[in-house]
Order: sequence, then structure tokens, then C-alpha cells
Amino acid sequence: MKKECIAMLLAGGQGSRLYVLTGDMAKPAVPFGGKYRIIDFPLSNCSNSGIDTVGVLTQYRPLELNSYIGSGQPWDLDDSTGGVHILPPYMGSDGGTWYKGTANAIYQNIGFVDLYDPEYVVILSGDHIYKMDYSKMLQRHKEAGAVCTISVMEVPWSEASRFGIMNVDGADTVTEFQEKPRQPKSNLASMGIYVFSWRMLRRYLTEDEADPGSENDFGKNIIPRMLADGQKLAAYRFQGYWKDVGTLESLWDANMDMLSPESGLDLLDDSWPIYARTFSAPTAYLGRSAKVTHSAFNRGSDLEGTVENSVLSADVHVAEGARVSYSVLMPGTRVEAGAVVEYAILGENCCIGAGCHVGAAPENTDPDKWGLTVLAPCCKLEEGRTIPAKTMLTRQGEEVPR
Amino acid sequence: MNGLHGIIFSYEKRNNLRELTDIRSASSIPFGGRYRAVDFALSNLVNAGCTDVGVVLHGRYQSLLDHLGTGKSWDLSRKRGGLKILPPFAYRQDWGETAFRGKMEALGGVRSYLDEIRQDYVCLMEGDLVVNLPLGEILERHIQSGADITAVCGNDSFRVEDGTYLQLSPEGRVTEVLYHLNNPRGYRSLEVYLISRSLLLSLVDECASHDQYSWRRDVLQTRCGQLNIQGYIWNGFAAQIRSVQEYYDRSMQLLDPAIREDLFCAERPIRAKSADKSSAYIGPEGCCVNSMVADGCSIGGTVENSILSAGVTVEEGAEVRNCILFKDTVVRRDARLSHVIADKCVEILPGHALMGQPSYPIVIAKGSQV
Repeated sequence: MKKECIAMLLAGGQGSRLYVLTGDMAKPAVPFGGKYRIIDFPLSNCSNSGIDTVGVLTQYRPLELNSYIGSGQPWDLDDSTGGVHILPPYMGSDGGTWYKGTANAIYQNIGFVDLYDPEYVVILSGDHIYKMDYSKMLQRHKEAGAVCTISVMEVPWSEASRFGIMNVDGADTVTEFQEKPRQPKSNLASMGIYVFSWRMLRRYLTEDEADPGSENDFGKNIIPRMLADGQKLAAYRFQGYWKDVGTLESLWDANMDMLSPESGLDLLDDSWPIYARTFSAPTAYLGRSAKVTHSAFNRGSDLEGTVENSVLSADVHVAEGARVSYSVLMPGTRVEAGAVVEYAILGENCCIGAGCHVGAAPENTDPDKWGLTVLAPCCKLEEGRTIPAKTMLTRQGEEVPR
Repeated sequence: MNGLHGIIFSYEKRNNLRELTDIRSASSIPFGGRYRAVDFALSNLVNAGCTDVGVVLHGRYQSLLDHLGTGKSWDLSRKRGGLKILPPFAYRQDWGETAFRGKMEALGGVRSYLDEIRQDYVCLMEGDLVVNLPLGEILERHIQSGADITAVCGNDSFRVEDGTYLQLSPEGRVTEVLYHLNNPRGYRSLEVYLISRSLLLSLVDECASHDQYSWRRDVLQTRCGQLNIQGYIWNGFAAQIRSVQEYYDRSMQLLDPAIREDLFCAERPIRAKSADKSSAYIGPEGCCVNSMVADGCSIGGTVENSILSAGVTVEEGAEVRNCILFKDTVVRRDARLSHVIADKCVEILPGHALMGQPSYPIVIAKGSQV
């Protein structure tokens, strides 16, 4: 079945900088924004952009992700020709290996891409929060007649040295790529989203695989190689909200951004819906003593206490007299009476016993000692415990360093 | 195949739902924020392991059709069996407003469908019933008791529009079936009946040959002595949505945690079609107490003792008290509402006030601008 364009979504990374949150699941499966998981963003973008065939490359702890994606129906990615496909590493008659790098992951699935014989392939990451119409990027790719089109966005000059920076000419053709340059010549950062002409990418992947010195990575190997060969690489300027949620701080930030449409992340906008697999739970109930302000909440929740500046997922219970501020609570979390949770990320099904105090506000803390407090999924705190700022607890409640 | 087959009747004969049923049948009326009435009957059946459900349509069924879709939301989109929509075009005669005169006639009209039923038992229900019944247990009781028909009834003689009331013997056998009562007595029938497929088929044929069409009159009442009809008394919450007042009162009961516990018990989840809305949000100046709030709502003002469906907006300074607001309704700045039922996509303009009474809630039709 020939397709003009398919997407390959890199979802195999461990997400080690999310620490305990990704102890048992791959980063794209981490809950976000109350009702989503991170992978809902690229999958919904594909669906809304008219891409009906998506390969999801998994490797690290894929079980939660696999069951979440299921048939792909929540994203309308269950077409009879195409749809979403989970692609783990596999064995062949002469052995097999884990995915060695982003480029190698695609290389190992050349057979999958060839099934659809596409003209173009979109390469996506599973750790970005953004809404983007890939069809516009594809349009730019075709018009530029490029081999590869890289999505870029302007970042503040002061932060440019943290990104992979694209230097471009007047027609936005990429002239140079610098990974985290000390002296950036441009402030156009790569977003890690690529459109390739498949025939050319296929050739470069094969050559890259034959090079024993290569790290088999798009940013480190494929893109520089193409540039060195004088291939045409176009930049596609993206405007709008985009955030890499690979760290605890950026994950927390992006959740907070959801509360303020001024941030550019407007999830109430119906024109570009983000789909999610939903589960059955009754309508949220806010009790007689509930004080919920500047916060998001979801079905199955029962809120009796105070909630401010926080993002609450489905099935969250906040008892009377408890207070939750500036925090992200993942599904199934319970906060018992009189407990305080501030500046914290609580993983799925955490239980905070009565009178506990989790996290601290920066204004009440020594700046050196302040940071987000993070609890792994299923962490249970017995009554009255105090968990200071910048602390991280595992599922068993043991403190681990960052 | 020993199992349960569901048939849901979506009725259209009540006229006390005012504007709420202008555009829909009672079965597709929103209830409890994120549900439609028919979600309860469907979920009750599915939770009892039922895989095949027929929905007999009648009247303004476009909204219901749209809601049911393929049945996917209730896991009823199946290769074999699943959800079957039984629209009224199959009926031989057109009885004006009412395409058929009673349930037996409706069933006679879909006789070939009844022939195809794979299960030994059939559960007849109505789409306007809001309840969470343990139908699996009720079926077991039905089989063990050796009854011809088991009639599920509420533990009250609460007055409902066009209600049926069952008189039970001390052993639980139905001795009399009454309706059109000025002073209801006995047990309120929830219009949920379990019956074997073979008996149902023979009753449908018998009724057809005698030009009998009413389940209630021609089967229950007339054959009460010759058939063994057992009552099953349900002590939990059960609302039959047949008038605006009942709709309003029963909805407001959901604000009681014990009622929610009963209706939304975790072992038998009520499934609904999901709206692709984001989380609900309350703004910095917002205040929301003792209310149910569905996905995608945005609250900048004050909401008290109310039930909000998905995507409702209450702007800053607006006050909403004791109201039921359907999907995508917008209450603009400084507007005030009390005891109002606003249908979908209603807009209350800034500064306006609408005050209903607990005994007469105001109903605003779909898409109105006030």
C-alpha cells in the first residue's frame, strides 16, 4: 500500500532525566497535563496533519506505552491500511541488536517503511509538548526541493548555546549545524523534527550503518553527513508553543504553562484537538469546602480541600483540610486530610497520609536547597511525614539522589 | 448460549420534558455531567457480560444515533453480535406520532431480529432509566427462581409520569399490575424485565395474532395469573426521566456522595462516549463548590450546587447556582442563573439574570441566546 508520507516516532529512550518517574515506563508514556500522556501530542499531530501511518519505535520499558497505544483508535490511527504500529528491536536469521541510536532504529526498520513505499518520512520524538501541522512542513520540504527539512524555532540568544543550532542563508537553507555551540551564530534551534525524502534517507542510513565509527544518530551523524555532501537541507520555521519535557523542571513548567493560555499552550482550542485514551470515571466532584483556583482537574476526582496553581489528573482525591499548591498530581493520587503538597510532582497512585508535608515553597527555603520534590508512582507516605524540597523518593519511599 | 441479550426501548411518548426533548428522545438526555441517560442501561447490560444489545428507536432519534455510533464506547462494536440499531421503518403500520403502539408491536416488527438472538435470556429495558443494577445477579436469581418473568422494581411507590406499579405477594410474586394511578401504591416498576427468549418469542407471536400490542397491559396485566412473574426489589438509586421536575430533582441528588457511590460504584463502571476535551479549569478568581464539573469546563466565576457538562464556560463575575448546564453552554460576565436547566450551546449574555424555582426550574432550549 503506497503512502505519500508516513511518520516514525522515536519512543525508545529511557528518559533518565525524569528519574523515578520513568523507573517503570518509557518517557512518552509519562502522564501530562491532567488527561494526556506525552505521546498524545505527536500522535494527535499526525492524525490532525493527515498522516495515517505511524511507526512507534520502542525499546526501554515499553509495556505501559504499548497498552496505552493499543489499536490506535483514540487517535483515529486504526485505519485498515496503515495505522499505528509498535516497532521493537527484533532478531533476524543472522542475529539482531538493540537500537544503537536514533538513525539505527530507523535503519533496522527499513523493511517497515518499504512496506508503504513512501516519498517522504517524518521523524518525530516522543518527548515534546507542541501542536504542529506536519503537512505544512512537508509542503515547505517539497517547495524547497530539499533532501531533508528540519523544524527550527527561534530561542532567546542567551539560551542558544543549549541547543543544536542551525545557521541558514537568506532562503532558510541550512548552511551549518552546530551542536550546543559556545558562540552561536544564529538563534534557530533544531526541534528534533525532520522530514526526509525517503530514497535519500534510505541511502544515508545504509551508509551510516556501514561506518563503524558512527554513533548512528540523526543529529550527530546523518545531518552533518548530508551537509558535508552538499545536499540541500531546508529549515522550517515553527512558531508557537514547543517544549522538550525531558527534565523534571521542564515537565513541571509545561504543566504550569497549560494553566495559562498566554503561554501559548492552549489545550481548550477545538481546532487542533489533542486526543487521549480515556478511561471510565464519573464526573469530577468539588465538595462544599473545596477551594480550587487557577488549577486543572479531571474526571473521577473528588476535591474537598484547597488546590491552587496545580494540574490534577483523573481520579485524584484531595481531602478536606489538605492543600495542594504549584504541583502536578498524576492519576490516582490521594492526599489525605491536613496534608500539604507544594512544588511537587506526584507519580501515579501516590498516597500522601494525613498531616504529611511534601515539598516546600521557594520563598520559604534556602535557594541552594530548593527544588521540586518528586515521588515515584505508587509511593505511599504514612501519616505526618515531612519530605523536604528537592527530594526524590522511589516507589518504596526511599530517598534517591538526582 | 446461556447468557443475557439486551433490548433497550428508546421511547418518545412523554411530553413533560418540555424543551429538553424537542431535539432528542429521553434516552439521549445528558445526565450527571458526562453521561447520557442511555449510557446507564447500556453499561448495566455490558457489566453483566452482555455482548449483544438491540436498541429500538422511536421518535426523534437522530441525537441518540449520533451518541450510540458503532457502540465502541461500550465495547459493543463487535464482529459477532454487538450493538444493533432497530429503527422504526420496519413497522408495518404508521400510527401517526407513534410509529408503534406498544412494546409488543415494536418487537413484532423486528421479529426476524428476535429469531437471531443467540442468548437464552433477554433483558428488556427503557433508555430513560438511570440506575446501576447488578443484572448478572438478577439473571441468576431469575434462573434459580424458575420465574417466567422477573420484574425489577424500586423499593418505593414514587410517582413517575406514566409509571407502572407492581403489587407483590409476601413471597415476591407479582399479584397485580397497575398504572394510571392517582395515588401510586405498591412497588414502582423500573421497566426492567428478564425473560427467556423462547417465552418472549411465543408471547410476541400470541400478541400479534390477537392484535395485542402492549407489554404492560396485554402481557403483565392480562397474563399476571397464568405467568409466574417475580419481583426483584432494588434498594438503590433509580431515576426514570420523564418530566423536567424529576430530571431536575434526580440530577441534584447526585451531589449527595452516597448516591454517587451507589450509581457510580467501582465494580460496575458506567461507560460514556468520551468528548475530546482538555482538563476542566478554574481561574484565579473562580469559586466552585458542591458541584459536578465535566472535562473542558472553564470557570472564572462562582458555581454552587450545580452540574456542568463538558465544555461549559462560566465567565468572571457570573454566578451559577442550583443549575444544570449542558455541553458548551456559555454564561457571560456578571450573568446570574439560579434553578436553570440550559440545553447545549446556550449563551447567557453579560449581566442578565434568570431565576427559576426549585419547584419549577427554567428550561432554556438548545442554542438559545438570552
